Amino acid sequence: MTDLFRAESEEAALEDLHTRGLTDGLPVVIPTPDRVSQMVLASGQEADMVLGTMGPGHGLATMEKVAVAAVMAGCLPDYMPIVVAAVKAVIEPVFDLTEMQATTHCTAPLIIVNGPARISCGPVSSGYGALGPGHRANASIGRALRLTMMNIGGARPGASDMALLGHPGKFTYCLAEDEENSPFPPLHTTLGFGKEDSVVTVIGAEAPHSVIHSGDGDDPKQHEGLLDMLAIGVANPATNNAMLSSGTATVVLNPEHAGILHRAGLSREDIAAEICERCQHPNAELHQLSPGFAPSQAGVRKAFRSPEQLLILMAGGSGLYSMVMPSWCAGTHRNSPSSSLVDFEFACEIPGAEMNRSTSPNAKA
Amino acid sequence: MAKLGVPAVALVTQEFWPQGDFVARSLGMPDVPRVKLPHPIAGTGTANMKAVATQVALEVIKALEGCLD
Repeated sequence: MTDLFRAESEEAALEDLHTRGLTDGLPVVIPTPDRVSQMVLASGQEADMVLGTMGPGHGLATMEKVAVAAVMAGCLPDYMPIVVAAVKAVIEPVFDLTEMQATTHCTAPLIIVNGPARISCGPVSSGYGALGPGHRANASIGRALRLTMMNIGGARPGASDMALLGHPGKFTYCLAEDEENSPFPPLHTTLGFGKEDSVVTVIGAEAPHSVIHSGDGDDPKQHEGLLDMLAIGVANPATNNAMLSSGTATVVLNPEHAGILHRAGLSREDIAAEICERCQHPNAELHQLSPGFAPSQAGVRKAFRSPEQLLILMAGGSGLYSMVMPSWCAGTHRNSPSSSLVDFEFACEIPGAEMNRSTSPNAKA
Repeated sequence: MAKLGVPAVALVTQEFWPQGDFVARSLGMPDVPRVKLPHPIAGTGTANMKAVATQVALEVIKALEGCLD
């Protein structure tokens, strides 16, 4: 059952929500009963439908409570099926939500959207600045998931969310894959879904780290340097991936870098294998840097058990920079990704709420 | 462990005590045995860890014995 608070005005309601610790620190849209009902209606499901429990507080995630978060985050009703899929994905046991929310590491769920829902439930941007400000769907969908993690899951900084510093992606961290321009099949098809499926994949991730690389069309081996740089970025010795190993990490290739690798004859699987092979450090080197985590012994420590522990997608504008997201690598399932189908079979268009609908996830105003 | 009936005690550092309270409550086990340690413990060296262990050993044993009552 959702609590109902009363206030004399929207301004007073906002202050009340801040005081109760129910916001992320930024102003929110007040989740009035009408707005929440409209958001529930957009989901096509009953308000009391239970998606699961969210740790560490073990709160019950009902459709109504998720709708409250979506309203507060500023979502359009169109986005609701993606928000619901993201909540379902983090609730899956494989995601280790309770441990992930409680850790001292900065990890935050990166939401990756694939398939037709990128457009019909967005548009969710996959182009220039997709992880930055200015994209309403990206900004509000990621924020809605965070608000569910706080207000249903009970994560509070310094009390139940023990991240020492956190990172800005804990406010929102959402993008789509640029399927239209990628030389590779969409990420979700690599994960076992059909091309026409709409899928949300969440993965615990550090803030994005930029990887610079300038191609050289005269150099037939230009892809080797790019692979080296990506490997250094995603598993340098200061990362948990290098020290603790065996956690899934993310690589977001920009169109140029994806093109370089594609023209070298590499598939997504090949790229993952190449990066995986490069992500290993001599135990002696790791021991010297951090003896508490790396015992003195011969041989090397591999950052990733297998290439499947690298999620590789294409997004972003055209230029020199790709992004890598090292990860936490802990929890029972060692920082595994979790995917959920976006179910919009019963989703309901809300009259008057359909705004700015575009046929392209990279539409410009 | 405690839910399975296995005698268990959680060692929690001072900084994480409120988090321990929260998790214990949310799991419906507000009285799960816990022993408070100084913070930080990790990386403080073998000598300090031995000293802390000596300090709390009796308390840990008592907590485990309490599980058998």
